[in-house]
Amino acid sequence: MTPVLFSQSLQSYLLLSTAMFSIGVFGLLARRNLVAILISLELILNSASINFLAFNKFCMPDKVTGQVFVVFIIALAAAEVCIGLSLVLLLYRKKDSINIEEAKELKG
Amino acid sequence: MDLTLLWTIQLAPLLAFLSIQLLPKSFKKIAPAIGVLGSLLAALAALKLFSLHLHQENLPQAFVYEWLKVAEPTAINPYQLVVGFLIDPLNLLMITLVTTISFFVQLFSVYYMNEDPSRPRYFGFLSFFSFSMTGLVLSSNLLQTFLFWELVGLTSYLLIGFWYSKPSAATAARKAFVINRLGDLGFYLGVILLFLYFGTLNFLDLKSEALQQTFSNPMLTLIGILVFMGVMGKSAQFPFHNWLPDAMEGPTPVSALIHSATMVAAGVFLLSRAFGLFSASKTTLLVILIIGSLTAFVGAALATIQRDIKKILAYSTISQLGLMVMGIGAGSSIAGMFHLSTHAYFKSLLFLTAGAFIHRYHTNDIWEIGQKGGKKDLLAVTFLVVGLFSLCGLPPFAGFFSKDMILETIKERSLFFYGVAILVSFLTVYYSFRMLFVILRSKIKHEEHGHHESGLLKICRALPLIGLAAISLYVGALGTPFTGHKILHWLGGQVSPLNVELLITTLVLIAAGAAIAFIQFRDPEKALARLEGADNPLKTTLERKFFIDDAYVFVVKKIGLGLAWVFNWFDRTVINTFMVNGTSYNILRLGRLVSKVQNGLLQDYMSLAIGAGVLIVFYILHYAKPGF
Repeated sequence: MTPVLFSQSLQSYLLLSTAMFSIGVFGLLARRNLVAILISLELILNSASINFLAFNKFCMPDKVTGQVFVVFIIALAAAEVCIGLSLVLLLYRKKDSINIEEAKELKG
Repeated sequence: MDLTLLWTIQLAPLLAFLSIQLLPKSFKKIAPAIGVLGSLLAALAALKLFSLHLHQENLPQAFVYEWLKVAEPTAINPYQLVVGFLIDPLNLLMITLVTTISFFVQLFSVYYMNEDPSRPRYFGFLSFFSFSMTGLVLSSNLLQTFLFWELVGLTSYLLIGFWYSKPSAATAARKAFVINRLGDLGFYLGVILLFLYFGTLNFLDLKSEALQQTFSNPMLTLIGILVFMGVMGKSAQFPFHNWLPDAMEGPTPVSALIHSATMVAAGVFLLSRAFGLFSASKTTLLVILIIGSLTAFVGAALATIQRDIKKILAYSTISQLGLMVMGIGAGSSIAGMFHLSTHAYFKSLLFLTAGAFIHRYHTNDIWEIGQKGGKKDLLAVTFLVVGLFSLCGLPPFAGFFSKDMILETIKERSLFFYGVAILVSFLTVYYSFRMLFVILRSKIKHEEHGHHESGLLKICRALPLIGLAAISLYVGALGTPFTGHKILHWLGGQVSPLNVELLITTLVLIAAGAAIAFIQFRDPEKALARLEGADNPLKTTLERKFFIDDAYVFVVKKIGLGLAWVFNWFDRTVINTFMVNGTSYNILRLGRLVSKVQNGLLQDYMSLAIGAGVLIVFYILHYAKPGF
């Protein structure tokens, strides 16, 4: 049996996606810049995509379900960023800032 | 045939009540006619039933339907509730009495109420009372008796408060109702206990021996006294007697029918009806005897100072009921029943006479009746004399034989209670003659002539008086030694020869009472002035009715209001402050606490959501069962 490359194993893909997810969550919670938060969100989405592809490749190589999902996620992410950015734009026009702590009018 | 007659007796008054209620407004005028017809029908049916069983063939006879089977029957306990009729000598006597008096009173009411605008309501209630009372008398078991017992209580309430716009009438009605509830509470508890352990409530099964085998003696005494509490309420026995004088706020014919002849006698009737239950325990009988003698004495003593003719008669009723209860407590239900039947007739006669006076002279005060020319009303005066002589027990009037029988029974039982009974008889003679002398010997000052009365009204006035007086004499005669003690045989009693010693005692008593009354009241106006001037402890005691009403007020004020204060405190502090307001306050505070989390910072929300998500995942991975 040929030695399995590090990059070729399922674990390596999962490690990568976990790292991306964690970075994303950290960015989501810690950054104050709304654009940075959106970017963190993209990281989370992409970590999910990597999971899909990895499982598709290692668990059922003759099917394309995971890949189809990823295409959907990309489309979804595009739409989401579109809406998100326009919200950020509106907020900037209103507040002259894209700091998330400025937007807390809805508190209970 | 029997059953048809029984249903007629039972349903004719109900039918009268329903048709009076359902009459269209323009036909309300004929309501009195319907009421009279209904009671006449019931009375005729009762007489027919009586004559069918004149020689006591097939008695006792019960027509029962199963109503409820409460539990699996055991050998001794059938645990079955039935409804139905029972006829035996006692019932037949009582039902004849109730329906005939009811008929005469309805007839008299046509005269008495002819100017009252709410006559239809009156006759409706009166018919409904007849229905309840016949149901009470004919019922075959204690539970059915209890139901009708409550119905007569209700009609009594409605009729005492008939003129409900008068505050005193409304209060009197409430008082009667509440005090009766006190007694009925005991009655109901007794019925429940009896059914729980004995398994049947049928009168025919309530035999002393059977009861003594089932129950221990204290238990029997308890049940007996509990049921007797109902009797105390309904028959106005001490200390529940004080509703009866106030009940005189109702129309006078109502007082004649309900509050002297029939409903208040229902208690005595129940004592005889379930005599097995009471006689099973010696202690119960002793309690009954003591309560009866207290009642007899208190009633007679209070009757001696009243000025209101109806109040005199009411206290006299209380005292006579006490005497009947004494007779039963002394061990002879027959003596009690015999006195009940004679008393029912002569007392309703007396009340109707009082009604005749009141309706004509528009006053209840015997002095005023005398001054307005009461003695000129020959018809009423004649029957007043007949009734009062009966009440005093003057031979050969009805009261003599029945009262003597009670005295004889009590004498055999105990000399002390015999002394009380003699004292009561003396007081009875005294207040009767006092009333008679005041009405007869007053100087007429401002004479009032009655309005012109139509022929029909005159008949309605005279016929019931004549009828009741005749029956009263006849019933009394049935109990004499000369006619062979028909009534006593009928009720299954022992016959004793005429007791000469008692006859002499009675005559001496009457002579003494009449003489003292004559000396005091030969000139009513002077007597009145003297009495009003007098001021001594005896007079105060009598005027305050032996402080019994005061005692009630004291109990209600101190204990009742004290309890109310405690409950009020508990309600306000524990329930309201701690439980109701406390809950809402704490929830509000919790809400404020939680709302701090909602600070508007998006990232804090997200932290919470993600933290919660992590916790959930953690939980699933570590604690959830496999296969989740």
